[in-house]
Amino acid sequence: MNELIEELKTKLIELLNLTTLTPEQFDAQAQLVGGELGIDSIDVLEMVVMVERDYGVMINSQEVGEKVFASVASLAAYIEANRAGGDA
Amino acid sequence: MSQGAVFIAAAGIVSPLGCGLEETDAALRAQRSAIAPLDVFSLLQGTPLPTGQVKSLANTESMPPRAHRLARKAAEMAMAGQAQPPDTIVLGCTTGGILTTEELLRRQESSPAAYQAHGLQSLAEDIATLCQCSGPALTVSTACSSGAVAIALALNLLRTGQARRVLAGGVDSLSRLTYYGFHSLQLVDRNGCRPLDVTRQGLAVAEGAGMLLLTIDPPEKPLAMLLGAGLSCDAYHPTAPHPEGKGARAAMEAALEDAGLTPSDIDYINLHGTGTPDNDLAETRAINALFSPPPPLSSIKGATGHSLAASGAIEAVVASLCVSRGLVPGTVGCTQPDPAFGITPQMSCVEQPVGTVLSNSFGFGGNNGCLVIGDGKTQHSTTVPQASGYLAVHGSGCLTGAGLLPVTLQHLQKGLSAAGLLPDAFLAEHLPPRLIRRVKRLARLALLLGQEAVDDTQGKENPAAVFMGTGWGALSETWDFLDRLTSSGEQFPSPTDFVGSVHNSPAGQVAVRLQARGANVTASGGDYSFEQALFTAQTLLPATGQSALLIGADEGHAQFSRLLDRSVETGNLADGGGALYVNRDCAQARCLARLAFYGRGGGHDLPEQMLAALGGVDSLRQQPLLVFAGIPAADREVGDEQLSRFLDLVGESTPVWRYRSFTGEFASASAVAAVMAVQSLEAGAFPGSLVGGQEVPLSTGSRILVLGTGQCLTAMEFQRP
Repeated sequence: MNELIEELKTKLIELLNLTTLTPEQFDAQAQLVGGELGIDSIDVLEMVVMVERDYGVMINSQEVGEKVFASVASLAAYIEANRAGGDA
Repeated sequence: MSQGAVFIAAAGIVSPLGCGLEETDAALRAQRSAIAPLDVFSLLQGTPLPTGQVKSLANTESMPPRAHRLARKAAEMAMAGQAQPPDTIVLGCTTGGILTTEELLRRQESSPAAYQAHGLQSLAEDIATLCQCSGPALTVSTACSSGAVAIALALNLLRTGQARRVLAGGVDSLSRLTYYGFHSLQLVDRNGCRPLDVTRQGLAVAEGAGMLLLTIDPPEKPLAMLLGAGLSCDAYHPTAPHPEGKGARAAMEAALEDAGLTPSDIDYINLHGTGTPDNDLAETRAINALFSPPPPLSSIKGATGHSLAASGAIEAVVASLCVSRGLVPGTVGCTQPDPAFGITPQMSCVEQPVGTVLSNSFGFGGNNGCLVIGDGKTQHSTTVPQASGYLAVHGSGCLTGAGLLPVTLQHLQKGLSAAGLLPDAFLAEHLPPRLIRRVKRLARLALLLGQEAVDDTQGKENPAAVFMGTGWGALSETWDFLDRLTSSGEQFPSPTDFVGSVHNSPAGQVAVRLQARGANVTASGGDYSFEQALFTAQTLLPATGQSALLIGADEGHAQFSRLLDRSVETGNLADGGGALYVNRDCAQARCLARLAFYGRGGGHDLPEQMLAALGGVDSLRQQPLLVFAGIPAADREVGDEQLSRFLDLVGESTPVWRYRSFTGEFASASAVAAVMAVQSLEAGAFPGSLVGGQEVPLSTGSRILVLGTGQCLTAMEFQRP
């Protein structure tokens, strides 16, 4: 689980071009969308694509999306619970 | 007739509902929806989504591109039986020949000749040639409001006496870029388009073309009158509308005021009504705030789909039909209106007298354009805009391969070339990381240019309006979107790149940064894009009060630039641009600027026409003259000929600086030249080494002409106040 969180931090920094942030500074519990990083609906869609492409996990409703993208930790938990094989 | 109104002499319409006024009329009355699964191009995977396609157009040919064929059909219809050609063309377009480009890229076609119909300007030029128009052919690209904004610009060109007869409209064809782009934003309704319905889930991407022949000379049987137009920018978010519809309301108010009408004078509102949850909510909120109670209103997009740049023009044609035939269309696709609106839309088509229609169009970048079309019988007092005149320049900034303005000027003084590509890191260092997190090169250039020009005014307030010219738009985002689409087997298109790929994305970013809520217009005219932006600014910027940023910029792109821009050969890439902070306060100005001439069509008398527009030989000989000549590498022969003919006509030894050797070859290089003109006039001299002679003294009264040559012949005029 922690490994996935660290992996997601690195991925999100690159995907969302969060150039001022290092993985160490990235708080896995902090509010991800609408928080201090300026992440909004367009980024959420970009993350939806990444999660499907890299983990084979679909997020196709706004209600689910709001919970999933609450924080890096919640995103990791959702991927963990839904990815094929449930290998961790 | 209201004072500021112009005649709609004729119209052409090609939409999924059919071709021409009769087929459109019949489809509206029959409440027919033309939305059906896509089959214009094949998909690598997935069930085709509902789209609005023009069925009468074969989908086999790729040249000329589908968009060009749509535009030709609508233009031929509007011009049928007209003895006189239009003197100006204004087209709204977002994606040009992209459908063909997509196919060429997949075939890895490497010949630039194959891509000549990619650019937005190729459409306007094609229509101008078709209609034998020798005046300006202008292209407006403000995403989904492009068609309406093009018509608004045409209205003001006519009012200010800069045109007498304009063919104006909008066009877009279906393409993978927009089909997958809107899909990636989750804005497409899989069940077809259901505007205003409580269960609506989005739009249906569509295609089409609408054209109006607008004139100030009374035609025998006008279709209707164009009474007014209003433009605004949300300055809120790249895609989402302001939740309260603040920008939408401002544009509607401006259109009503422009038409000399009050809300209660409107008989029917043709909604933007795309069917996306956010748009329909924001739009109805804005309407509730402005109209009490609102008149009958409906969206036709459940029938036509959303034809992007064409939609504003298609709906202007429909509005003309409503007025001329007494028709209020229904909201096809809506079965249960959303109770959250507090408004019941017109559900089915009814016949009733319609004197005035307000037609709304809103687009990405928060670009809003509203038109008022009517029979012209309702009269109130209007303030008719004054003839265009000079814009007053109060600040400037530029970017070249050398760097920002001061370094660029040093290169100029030393006679060195400034051509090249600034490293991406340079741009990033000069802009806040959060601001540029999601945008690529062109938007970064625009943001930095805007910042430079505003800073240079030393304390003037932020501008209200933004006018931008770009020859090719956001090439990085467009390339990256298509590349990822293809490499992922059409599975994982990037929503961020799609949003950034629209031509007006950079100007939208500038507006958000500066909170510029006035008109926000991006023009895309190939090598004459900055000239078109200046023309637009001098036409649309109110005579008093408002200030505007005028930006010209293009990015050099490793793959795209060589394929698209005929002047970019195998040599080094160059890019950059220039920005001017302008208003009408000439007394305090550092310099005055105007577009004095824009001619096209290869006529041999273009230099003579240009001379006349500049006041004739005597006027030019009165004061010292310096010419900055823009001769695109691809048009060297014709450009040289135009220049020497003009210099012969002037008859004195006029110093000439060929600025593309300094800026490098890129479409909006003339924006850099414009800034060099402003700076040189202020400095009072221009280096002799650049004109092959003595230093050129520039005193009060000196004029600098920045000429564009080649396919068009243009003159921007700069002088001290």
